[in-house]
Amino acid sequence: MKQWLRQHRYALNVTLRRLFLQPFSWVANTLVIALALTLPLIGASILTSVQPLVREVSITPEMTIFMKPNATPEVATQIAQRIKEANNASVSSIKIIRKDTALSELSQNPAWSQALKVLEGNPLPDAVVVSLVSSDQVVTQAQQLAQTWQSWSGVDFVQLDSAWVQRLEALLRFGRIGLALMTLVVGLVVLAAIFNTVRMQALSQREEIAVARLVGATESFVRRPFLYQGGLTCGLAACLAIGLCLWALNPLNQALLGLAKTYGAEFSLRLPSADILVWCFIAAITLGAISARWSVTRHTRF
Amino acid sequence: MIDFQNVSKSYGTALAILTQTSFTVTTGEFVFIAGPSGAGKSTLLKLIAGLEAPNSGQITVNGQRLSDLSARARPYLRRTVGVILQNTHLLYDRSAIENVLLPLAVVGQAPETARSRARAALEKVGLSHKEHANPVELSGGEQQRLAIARAIVNRPAILIADEPTANLDRDTARRVMNVFKDFNQVGVTTLVATHDEDLMAEYAQRVLVIEPGRFRDFPVQRKT
Repeated sequence: MKQWLRQHRYALNVTLRRLFLQPFSWVANTLVIALALTLPLIGASILTSVQPLVREVSITPEMTIFMKPNATPEVATQIAQRIKEANNASVSSIKIIRKDTALSELSQNPAWSQALKVLEGNPLPDAVVVSLVSSDQVVTQAQQLAQTWQSWSGVDFVQLDSAWVQRLEALLRFGRIGLALMTLVVGLVVLAAIFNTVRMQALSQREEIAVARLVGATESFVRRPFLYQGGLTCGLAACLAIGLCLWALNPLNQALLGLAKTYGAEFSLRLPSADILVWCFIAAITLGAISARWSVTRHTRF
Repeated sequence: MIDFQNVSKSYGTALAILTQTSFTVTTGEFVFIAGPSGAGKSTLLKLIAGLEAPNSGQITVNGQRLSDLSARARPYLRRTVGVILQNTHLLYDRSAIENVLLPLAVVGQAPETARSRARAALEKVGLSHKEHANPVELSGGEQQRLAIARAIVNRPAILIADEPTANLDRDTARRVMNVFKDFNQVGVTTLVATHDEDLMAEYAQRVLVIEPGRFRDFPVQRKT
């Protein structure tokens, strides 16, 4: 065990010496990888910040069931009762809005009051407003319920108020897929950058590798410093990317705050949670080490 | 112990270096490998060190058949064979002692022990005063001795050297040969490839001669 640890310490020393011998090339390389990693990290920050907002607005998805204009007030009451009995688990509240109440509320709106005055009677139907219990499948569930309720006698039309939530969710799904693709592309960029750096390094260390093999070094011993180089570069780049992302979120948040205030809301972008960042850091190190291993295995066959 | 049984080695179809060659070198022997340039002396040493593979035949080194050794096991055998190639293969971005420390780092030796063993190896070849010098600051003979120090630091059972005295003046060559002789006297099997007949006459116990298409084994009877 001690021997193994000593060999790792030696590999780390060799790596650091090689890196410090070419500081500018190493720093430039690390910066390129860090900038590439910043892009998906900012994307993840946007998604992480928007997701709770979507969850919040979709907590109370509502459906409005309009009765036929000639339906008696009892029909709305019966429909409300029927919904309560049939869908108790998925319904959080039911409210009946009588056509008189609706008309009086609408009359209070100056935009509508003049138009309503010319009408002889009340053209509005009775309505039942149903709030659904929020769940992951709420949109699908709402669509199914709307289809069922639409077929009931006395019902004229069912309005699904969660359609825009559906669109927002579709947009988020698009964002998630986009982020996954961007992460994949950035991963490939990192892979290529490390592969090429290690290739150059391996070629410049040919003599040292040959001597090490001559004196009985195993292939693991030869590869180890390059693996450390890949891992260290990507690990440092990941830390830099998190720092860059934090720095970039600050002006973005200030701009967003102004926009959110105009809607009377509070919204800010934030980094993904600490455990996700730790996983990203580990993933970056692993990716660096894997591409270094691939490169060194390919370029030290002499 | 080194044992060659019907070993053939050729590069392509045109250049046959060894053809059905058999010989045995017992533990503690001092053997010269002689022959004209290009005859295959270096190849023979590389075959012993496992740096090259034969086309046919069996090579046994320290009781291990090289053909039976996996790629993973080969480096462990190489640690028991100290190799000094014609080109010293020193690392010019490191000091003399750091060059000698490399084989000890390979086996994961503790830093303090490694440093004292490297110093002892440098002392044996008469380079203890140059431990912090860069190899480029050393003369040809000193570079050769540094390569020897690196080869012996892991206390190998076999020491093989390819033209270690080429390009050295007579006194320096003799000094280098004396280092080999000292190691041989403590039981290290030593094989030296050379075409220097004077050195062979002075130091040889046995000479293996490789000539194109021929392999001869000469035991040397020395007057004591």
